[in-house]
Amino acid sequence: MNENPFLIDPERARAEVEAFRRKLEAGLETLKKVGPIELGATPREAVYTEDKLTLWHFKGGKKPASKTPLLICYALVNTPWMIDLQEDRSMVRNLLAQGEDVYLVDWGYPDGADRWLTLEDYIDGYLDRCVDVVRERHGIESLNLLGICQGGVFSLCYAALHPEKVRNLVTMVTPVDFHTPDNMLSHWARNVDIDLFVDTMGNVPADVMNFAYLTLKPLRLNQQKYIGLVDILDNPKEVENFLRMEKWIFDSPDQAGEAFREFARDFFQKNLLMKGEARIGNRVVDLRKITQPVLNIYAEQDHLVPPAASAPLGGLVGSKDYTALAFKGGHIGIYVSGRAQKQVPPAIHAWLADR
Amino acid sequence: MSDKPHDFIDQYQAWVRQGLEAWSRQFDPKAGPEGATVPPPDIAARLFAGLGGYGEWMRSMAGGEGPGAALDGGLPPFGHVPGGSAEFDAWARAAKDMLSLPAFGLTREQQEEQQALLKAWIEYMEHYQRYRTLLQGVHERANAALREQAPPTDAESMRSVYDRWVNLAEESYAEAALSEEFREVYASLVNAQMRVKLLQQRQVERMAVQAGMPTRKEVDSLGERLQAARRELAHMRGLAAEVESLKAEVAALRGTKKPAAKRATKPKDRRP
Repeated sequence: MNENPFLIDPERARAEVEAFRRKLEAGLETLKKVGPIELGATPREAVYTEDKLTLWHFKGGKKPASKTPLLICYALVNTPWMIDLQEDRSMVRNLLAQGEDVYLVDWGYPDGADRWLTLEDYIDGYLDRCVDVVRERHGIESLNLLGICQGGVFSLCYAALHPEKVRNLVTMVTPVDFHTPDNMLSHWARNVDIDLFVDTMGNVPADVMNFAYLTLKPLRLNQQKYIGLVDILDNPKEVENFLRMEKWIFDSPDQAGEAFREFARDFFQKNLLMKGEARIGNRVVDLRKITQPVLNIYAEQDHLVPPAASAPLGGLVGSKDYTALAFKGGHIGIYVSGRAQKQVPPAIHAWLADR
Repeated sequence: MSDKPHDFIDQYQAWVRQGLEAWSRQFDPKAGPEGATVPPPDIAARLFAGLGGYGEWMRSMAGGEGPGAALDGGLPPFGHVPGGSAEFDAWARAAKDMLSLPAFGLTREQQEEQQALLKAWIEYMEHYQRYRTLLQGVHERANAALREQAPPTDAESMRSVYDRWVNLAEESYAEAALSEEFREVYASLVNAQMRVKLLQQRQVERMAVQAGMPTRKEVDSLGERLQAARRELAHMRGLAAEVESLKAEVAALRGTKKPAAKRATKPKDRRP
């Protein structure tokens, strides 16, 4: 073993600590100046509410060019504002700028009253009613559906069960094969007694979910990023951006117990979507019934939904018009990075415009 | 209250200064025993220890806890952190034997519940120790890997060494976390904690019943029935809408009425 692989000059190290100290000391002044942190930058209007759910319609600077509205179905975990974090980091804003007419399903924050909501209630109930509201508003038979992460799984199930209401389907960072060897979350979930877990917890607290996510990369997410924060402590704008992301990460909804049970058991543990045996209520989700055009976008450095978990979709759907798009970035970067702003919304719009 | 407007900031800055000065003294080569030069690997180890403390502090502050809370190690949502020791193992063995004795008398059922809870708690502690042992292995392998690195040609900043260590530690962790052993230990830990929590809930329920208060079980039961009723109502409304639509179509075919527009009903009508 090499006993001395480091070459740290003690004097330089002390200077480094001194610089670190200065930034840390000055940091409180910056933090004091940061006002309330808000998420959701784009003007919007609630066009439908039900229980905790809100269906938002976004207002762009110009009239939408697209005749078919785009409904975004977000995941139940975390809030949907990752896609509209701030003015210069907003997939929604960029989609509007491209001419899309954008709606968003915001599931809200479930509480004890929502403990018994099942996947059927979410997909065949709430989501279906949101789809109908948008269809009615525009007087159309079918709309464009964009599902994100778990919302992508919901969208796949929905499109398979209600193909007549979906004109084009876009999935983003959406797992299909939950049993790829690099899927840490599903690996951990595989032997957990999900029934005992849900029977005990009822709704699954957001803190438990966040703890699981943080432990996917414990040092990077619990330590290194806060050390990196010191680098920007003298830059109020950067600090505000950091805190906005921090708010989004930790301001998370609890998970409705029954829906969590079904999703963890049937998708994470049994991988039923991949096997063609997943059920929503009494109906089997047959992905071959998805014959409309499908655009599947995944992130090459995604640690939550590895590319291998998303890529098999092309072989499972019945569509002859299937496009896969690999984005160079991670699960979050695909929405907030500078490259994402320039690449992802234009790619979605161009793909939709061609259909 | 102090008249100084920046009193709190002054205190904060003094606190930061003291902490970092104490930390920097830890790797001062002249601060070793009898002025001996501290070997660089130890400097790095101390560096990591200091940064680890900083990370915990930041995390606790971010979580809204007081600055001193991280000194307790922080509390993961899965529960508190028990200490692992040979004494505990011996105590646990003895306790398990004691807890296997039969219960008697009027409070027999409560005694058994209490025994089950204590046993579950001991099992949870045992699984937690296994989990900690796995994490300790990750940490040791990462440190060993860092020491295996090729010596650099130029002096490095502490930050670059730290970043390298984080990369190696995350690699080591990912390898362990994707192993069969980790999967088994992780699930055992979660399952053990759920058993403890479930047994605790049963005791709370018993107390709630004695106090004449509604229990979570009762509220859950009501919620389940209510949701089933809402689902059924939504289904029946769907059927009713279908019947209305068919009736309109029939009427149109008979030429007595215009067919209903093929549109979705209003949102408020769609609610279950």
